[in-house]
Amino acid sequence: MSDARLWLAGLVALPALVIGASTLRLDVAQLRRIATAAALAMLLVALGIAVSPSLHDVSIRTSALSAVPGGEAIIRIDTLSAALLPFAAGLWLLTVAVTPRAALDRRGLRRTALATLITLASFLTESAIVLLLLSMASVWVFLFALADPAHRYQRRVVAAYLGFSTLLFAIGVGLLVSPGAQNTTVESAGMWLIVIAALVRKGIVPFHAWVPEVFDHGRLGPAILFNAPQLGAYMTVVLIVPRASPEMLRIIAILALATAVYGAALALVQASARRACGYLFMSQSALVMAGLDCTSASALAGGLLVWLSAGLAFAGLARCVLVLEARRGRLDLTTYHGGYERMPVLAIAFLLMGLACTGFPGTLGFIGQELLVDGAVDVFPVMGFAVVIASALTGLAVLRMYFSLFCGRSVALAHADLRLGLKPREAWTFVALVLALVGLGVAPRALVDSRFAASDEILRQRQERMLEGGR
Amino acid sequence: MSVPLTWLVLVGVGSPAVLLALLGVASLINRPLPERWTASLAGTSMTVSFAAFFVAFVVRGTATTGAQLLSYGAWSTSYEGGVAIEFLVDRLSLAFAALSAAIAGVVSAFSNRYLHREPGYNRYFVLLALFVTGMLLIALAGNVAVLFIGWEFVGLSSALLVAFFHERPAAVANAFRVLSVYRISDAAMLAAAVLLRHVAGTDSLSLLFGSGVGTTSALTGANATIIAILLIVAVAGKSALLPFSSWLPRAMEGPTPSSAVYYGSLSIHAGCFLLLRAAPLLEQAPLARLLAGVLGASTAVFAGITTRVQSDVKSSLAYASLTQVGLIVVEIAIGWYTIAFVHLAGHACFRLLQFLSAPNVLHDLHGIEDAMGDRRSPGSGDLEVVTLNRARQRLFLIALERGFLDSLLDRGIVGPFTRLARQLTLLDQWLCDAVLPARRPVAVDAGEDQDE
Repeated sequence: MSDARLWLAGLVALPALVIGASTLRLDVAQLRRIATAAALAMLLVALGIAVSPSLHDVSIRTSALSAVPGGEAIIRIDTLSAALLPFAAGLWLLTVAVTPRAALDRRGLRRTALATLITLASFLTESAIVLLLLSMASVWVFLFALADPAHRYQRRVVAAYLGFSTLLFAIGVGLLVSPGAQNTTVESAGMWLIVIAALVRKGIVPFHAWVPEVFDHGRLGPAILFNAPQLGAYMTVVLIVPRASPEMLRIIAILALATAVYGAALALVQASARRACGYLFMSQSALVMAGLDCTSASALAGGLLVWLSAGLAFAGLARCVLVLEARRGRLDLTTYHGGYERMPVLAIAFLLMGLACTGFPGTLGFIGQELLVDGAVDVFPVMGFAVVIASALTGLAVLRMYFSLFCGRSVALAHADLRLGLKPREAWTFVALVLALVGLGVAPRALVDSRFAASDEILRQRQERMLEGGR
Repeated sequence: MSVPLTWLVLVGVGSPAVLLALLGVASLINRPLPERWTASLAGTSMTVSFAAFFVAFVVRGTATTGAQLLSYGAWSTSYEGGVAIEFLVDRLSLAFAALSAAIAGVVSAFSNRYLHREPGYNRYFVLLALFVTGMLLIALAGNVAVLFIGWEFVGLSSALLVAFFHERPAAVANAFRVLSVYRISDAAMLAAAVLLRHVAGTDSLSLLFGSGVGTTSALTGANATIIAILLIVAVAGKSALLPFSSWLPRAMEGPTPSSAVYYGSLSIHAGCFLLLRAAPLLEQAPLARLLAGVLGASTAVFAGITTRVQSDVKSSLAYASLTQVGLIVVEIAIGWYTIAFVHLAGHACFRLLQFLSAPNVLHDLHGIEDAMGDRRSPGSGDLEVVTLNRARQRLFLIALERGFLDSLLDRGIVGPFTRLARQLTLLDQWLCDAVLPARRPVAVDAGEDQDE
């Protein structure tokens, strides 16, 4: 077994270890410690893979699953996936480290590890069939998280939207990999179905209604873990971008830009902090899809950077909301809750993660948005203006949330003996995430270069397919 | 010659940036430095910054009159495009940078005593460092990205300082209103940048601020006019020109030193400075120049009237400041660039002194009134003498209501936007209901549904 495969095995073994440990009779706190250690180890291993170009040559190809000439890689590490692996590990670490103790159970930890394993496996494959199976598995895990009677309505909404998406995805993949479908209308029809499936999965207008609903009244933790990795964007990059016509990509970009503005505008007026989070996520994650328009390597690299920055920053922001809810109950944005003095670390982390989410200068998101605008402005200037409007509105929405959640006179001040501060585990996790977002924003060269390399690779694949298809 | 200048500018900008990093990380990990350390670090940082820019100004000013683009690399090593770190250095930018650092140093020293033992002491200095870094980036920006970074730093720090006393709901609400106008300004600035890139294929400000305007075929006629108008909108938002003036009195909620440095001396002049820098562009866009002149003049008249009826000294000073800002904009529109810069620098220093000494003056005045046993009656000014009674009443009403700008903004923009967004939220909920036969349940209370 080569070095790279050994690293890969280690990477996959860690969440599997936690799934196995969750079946033992361990104390929940012990299991959390194991999960946290495993997530940290996975982050280190993933970072090791990301910074070692020699480990990027793993590829296991097969023709058994499709009739695509030359087969597809069911497992591979390339420049695209190399940065997504630490991203998945970081999301898992964030989840297990800051989940409130009272809300912690064995099944939840197992589900979290399973969701991470699915995300990881998805980022490692470019096979349409494998991606379809993993997509179905992730939806199933998400639905399982909404299984309690209190969330029956939200489960049905998710089942309706994501079931529709999965069905279209399955039919589309079937058409795409069927014998003789290459460069025919069958492939084109399959592509359109996969595009719609990806749009539903990503919560792009007009297929978006399930996202704010599940954030608002569903369970926020699983919603973050399901949405933040943005498997819909990955589906688009791997399956759609190499094959799609420019018109198809332009339609995706226009819908994505509309979503970015729409989500930002609606996030600004919400009374519920959770629902505002849902719209913020819609807005920022849509920018990733806008970057996939492939107008230039720069715009594509910008989209790939926004994918990482918005995903991490948004997950951190939503986790802050969860941590606050654990102390205060449901959060209403129409009043001021106060409490900055009691939780300054959380307040500052919330503000900085929110700003990172909106692409504020000095954070990683800024570089991504700059590249996005810079690359697209020559051939698609409307993207530049849409990003400007979305950025202005999301900035306001984040500040509104910050003012409401941390400013004003705290009612709890009357009970000075109440301990509402963060635990060290929570505080250090948030601090580390903020430092990562700001540190990568101030010194982003290595990451920017790696995203440019990934975008070059994607554009090269697309060029080759176009030449093969004679389009 | 260029090597020391490169280093001087780097030290000048880097000094407050390092201060920001030090104080920011200390705040983030909830280990704020002792006041003594914070004050020493802030004082040292501002002094070093001022010294660096002063020396750079002397070096540059005696050497040449042209502009020089200093490049500090880019945020990508092997690919074209992306964000380059560039500063455009000439006598104007270095003079404004030195002025900013000097004023920030004075305010820093004043604030150390003014905010002694204030719970938000450390937070104040973090935001001050953010502001100074932003002002220096605005002063020296060599491309749109760097300019925008500075613009955003100034805007965010301004809003957070308005909400400095964040236990007061009014302060927080006003901070949000200030930020809302700033975002309009930011959006206009970014839109100008997008258009500049689209028509000229570059985001270099030497094209706007230097001799490139007019000689580049892309930046003439309609394109130059549109970009210039967008810049004027950005300037109007940041400098509180009409029709964006209503945020200015709201911004007085912050501590006095921050009001002094933002709305008396530096931030409010940032827009004027940007217009001065963009003078070559304005000269190619007479329509935009006319617009700037009209906005400046009307703002000066409006602020001049409004300042006379303010009931608190900070608001009165803020509107007085705005009067001068309006006049500076008129001077720029006419083309009196040197006078405009001298006016800007002199006014910034004078108004800073007024703001900082206002609490003491009020204290002394109250002491005098207590000693006299009576309140001093305000004298009637020239305007009151020359205007007709009915016109005076109308002017008084307009001034008292600050031009009704707030209600116009609420009715014209905020109200319709909020109503539309709420309708769309309901539509989204309907889209969920529409796909299901079941009825939407009563909202689940959170608290128990936080687990993984």
